[in-house]
Amino acid sequence: MTSHYRTRRLAIAALTAVIFAGLAACSTTVPNTTLEPRTDFGRAIDQLWDNLLFWGTIVFVLVETLLIYVILRFRRREGQPAPRHVHGNTTLEIAWTLAPAVILAIIAVPTVKTIFDTQRPAPANALTVEVIGHQWWWEFRYPEYGVVTANELYLPVGRTANFALQTQDVLHSFWVPQLGGKRDLITNRTNHIWFTPESTAVWNGVCVEYCGTSHANMRFKTFVVTAEQFEAWVNHQKSGPAMAASAPAATGAQTDTSATRPAAQTQTPPAAAEPAQASAPSVPPAQTSGQLPTYPADRLPLYAASYNPVPEELTIGNVVGDAARGAQIYRTAPCIACHVIQGVSAGIVGPNLTHLGSRTSLGAGLFPNDARHLALWIKNSPAMKPGSKMPAFGKSAAMPAGYDDQQLADLAAYLLSLK
Amino acid sequence: MATTVAAPPRYAVPHTRYERGLWSWLATVDHKKIGQLYLYTAITFFLIGGLEALIIREQLKGPNGSLVSAETYNQLFTMHGTTMIFLVIMPLGAAFFNYLIPLQIGARDVAFPRLNAFSYWVFLLGALFMNAGWLFGAAPDGGWFAYTPLTTHQFSPGLNIDFWVIGLQILGLSSLAAGFNFITTIINLRAPGMHFMRMPIFTWMSFVTQFLLVLAFPIITVAVTFLMLDRFFGTNFYTITAGADPLLWQHLFWLFGHPEVYILILPAFGLVSEVLPVFSRKPLFGYPVMVYSGILIGFLGFGVWAHHMFAVGMGPIADSVFGVTTMLIAIPTGVKIFNWLATMHGGSLRFTTAMLFAIGLIALFTIGGISGIMHSSPPADLQQTDTYFIVAHFHYVLFGGSMMGIFAGTYFFFPKITGRLLDERLGKIHFWLTFIGMNLTFFPMHFMGLNGMPRRIYQYQANQGWDIENLVATWGARILAVAVLVFIWNFIKSRRSGAIAGPDPWGAATAEWSLPSPPPEYNYAVIPTITSRYPLWDVTSPELTADVPHTPQGEKRTDISVGGKGTHASIRTPSDTRMAGEMAHPSAKELGITMPTPTLKPLVASVGLTIMFIGLILKHSVNYSSLWLPVLIGGAAFFVISLYSWLLSPLEPEHH
Repeated sequence: MTSHYRTRRLAIAALTAVIFAGLAACSTTVPNTTLEPRTDFGRAIDQLWDNLLFWGTIVFVLVETLLIYVILRFRRREGQPAPRHVHGNTTLEIAWTLAPAVILAIIAVPTVKTIFDTQRPAPANALTVEVIGHQWWWEFRYPEYGVVTANELYLPVGRTANFALQTQDVLHSFWVPQLGGKRDLITNRTNHIWFTPESTAVWNGVCVEYCGTSHANMRFKTFVVTAEQFEAWVNHQKSGPAMAASAPAATGAQTDTSATRPAAQTQTPPAAAEPAQASAPSVPPAQTSGQLPTYPADRLPLYAASYNPVPEELTIGNVVGDAARGAQIYRTAPCIACHVIQGVSAGIVGPNLTHLGSRTSLGAGLFPNDARHLALWIKNSPAMKPGSKMPAFGKSAAMPAGYDDQQLADLAAYLLSLK
Repeated sequence: MATTVAAPPRYAVPHTRYERGLWSWLATVDHKKIGQLYLYTAITFFLIGGLEALIIREQLKGPNGSLVSAETYNQLFTMHGTTMIFLVIMPLGAAFFNYLIPLQIGARDVAFPRLNAFSYWVFLLGALFMNAGWLFGAAPDGGWFAYTPLTTHQFSPGLNIDFWVIGLQILGLSSLAAGFNFITTIINLRAPGMHFMRMPIFTWMSFVTQFLLVLAFPIITVAVTFLMLDRFFGTNFYTITAGADPLLWQHLFWLFGHPEVYILILPAFGLVSEVLPVFSRKPLFGYPVMVYSGILIGFLGFGVWAHHMFAVGMGPIADSVFGVTTMLIAIPTGVKIFNWLATMHGGSLRFTTAMLFAIGLIALFTIGGISGIMHSSPPADLQQTDTYFIVAHFHYVLFGGSMMGIFAGTYFFFPKITGRLLDERLGKIHFWLTFIGMNLTFFPMHFMGLNGMPRRIYQYQANQGWDIENLVATWGARILAVAVLVFIWNFIKSRRSGAIAGPDPWGAATAEWSLPSPPPEYNYAVIPTITSRYPLWDVTSPELTADVPHTPQGEKRTDISVGGKGTHASIRTPSDTRMAGEMAHPSAKELGITMPTPTLKPLVASVGLTIMFIGLILKHSVNYSSLWLPVLIGGAAFFVISLYSWLLSPLEPEHH
């Protein structure tokens, strides 16, 4: 008798687990889903996935139903006659060898077709984007336009983008879930992947090949924009650094952006909150938020905003930076050994800073790009991003010659003015 | 069927220090003791690997978890994977190989008993070496797959990867020695009448596993040796600045790594194939097909490795070939699932804990198999690889498959090993907590993966759509932790005071259940003659084996006896029956059976080997680097001398 209840409990427990997990999946929005593709490549994969899910579900239901039936039907009862002696059945065994073979053939044919379709050479008019992986940030180059940027990828909608993937150091992997499958960046090789974005939106991208300490912190953003917006962005990027006369920002002014960001976001107009929904998000026209053809940081949807907490022990006083003084400091600062600012410095190790002020985030998608975070980043980047290759430049016991808070704020003000 | 006895059998009083206490374990060459050493060691590492998993889940419970640093997290996931694969599931398999194979084939020990002891000690020291990194704050952190160039000296200059590289070398030696040992044992030491097609299915699956071990481990040994030479002696196998191709490591690693998956799962398949017929009271459905499918899985397992590399850009032809070969493996695996269902169908099912875990394997491995097919399709895999979808998949295979099968085998064979039954009530609590905890932990990971969550990240930001799934998974892991504690408690309690099992508590079919529990040192007083696949059922339940093939001469009688009674009554000396119902068993000496002499030499040799490798790692130490060569040469000399001494001493006492 008890064993009967036990078997029933088995079924109920299994069902509960599945429903629980199912609910968990539905009760939240899924901004990085792989199941709502926005490119031709993504849709080809999604069709295969639907096929796999269909047959997988059939096999799952069949096997588990049989199992539950056998458990319930053949449990041992009192006074039951000895079971019939069957030690095999050739017909049955051939049948359940062939049935999976047929299902697999149904899966294999479109699979092979999709492999060959998606690995053809990219169309001739494709936009080539060189993606270069670094521990732990992304460099994007547009050889057609001579544009170099970092951690923020702009793509025109409707034009095939052909990515040439390379890495400066260890292996990385390039992935924007909504735009299709991933491709690894292999040292001493150039890999390719191409697809055509079909709607304007902001998407998160990540590194998905384990690449060391800050693998989790190697993120980027993809802005799919209209052809006109893309052209404006290219022209802007090609121009030299324009020191915009923006209002000086205090390092303490936007206090605790990290903590308040999610709350602040919920109060922003629906236009910005909308892209968080699973429906096709659209990119707000750049012109509505000033002169810059780049994506306005304050209009980023919640899922694409960067608001990681800064370690509590890392602080900076509330000082107002001066961009002109910052520019003076920069000219002789160690920054120039690693960073490019067009016409100012020519280092090539770190990200290109020519238009840093027009980017939305810092540290490969970790922090908002504001005066406080940028000053803290220069002060002690390894404390903000484990393993960061950029040394700490702030004044400290270990480094008495480092920059004081005022100098850090000046540098931040200068860099942020580079729109 | 089950013989009632009041206490486990007592054996003759030990004579030398090597027969009792700690020494008896250090010097043992008895496959049953070595099997138990593997079992206890692997369970210990299961607790360590489980603790690592629990910390990982606590870190990922919510966004921006800050329980551990990025560096520690990377060490934790590396060591969790390495531990569970090399220090838990493989040695748990080895525990069952050791304990069961000689018993199942009717042998007195393995072919090379001292090599067997050497395998264990090398494994133990390798496992400690691998974990020694924790003591220096330098546990391995390159992932269990240790992809180059990240693991080359240029990008990982610390000792972390050194511990991994050398630890894996040591562990590989252990696996290779054990593999050759068991192949020789199974081929040469089968009892009369034990044809290959009468071998118990667990022994069959183990046999296939040993071939996978001896074919796959040399590959990883070569790959790791290259890396070791690069790191310690400046060669350029993987040095990217010298033009190395990182795919060399990946191909070598997965050419080992995929057969390794079958090394982990086939023993569990074997265990479940022993448990299901006994508790269904039916012979295994389609025994020959179960054997052939096991062989086929092992064979195909060598032709699918590059399905771990669909994202590296191998080109459409390689992608297609490896995608299709991967799909092919589903066929023999599916056959196994259906044959298990057919074994239960029409049976008389008894839901012991062992049976529940065996059924759990069918239910859960099926899910892992289906998700496996989902990424056998290379384009689909491009959306799934390196996400939590894969984490879900292989935990359904390795936890839902391997561990469930091993738990089934543990509940089933514990009485044979200890003479006592594991507590069934605690066992059922253990099963249900495991089943629920396992599904709560790993099922949501399918959704995390499909929703874009990458693997091996120590933190994620909020509002990515991953929060609830992660919280559920963490609760599942907590439930699993409780389940493991229940199991450990059951294990310790039942070992001391569990119900007395008797020789055959389950009404089992294979020869080992004819022996007392635990069996005497020499296993079989008289080597049995095997007449069918189910020699014991031929005696206890002949009606169950009526249509199972027997010896052609129509000889259905077996000379296997239950609990030492029956046809071999003459070999029992009734001298030691002090307690009512207690059965006394004569020592090997009294029976005139020659058993191998206990010896410390395999342990001593393995220590020499380890000192040699310690010498190597000293080369990279800060304070003792000048000592590396003397220690290495000293260890090597020590190893060679102890090996020489071992080989010159006779295996057995002189015959008189």
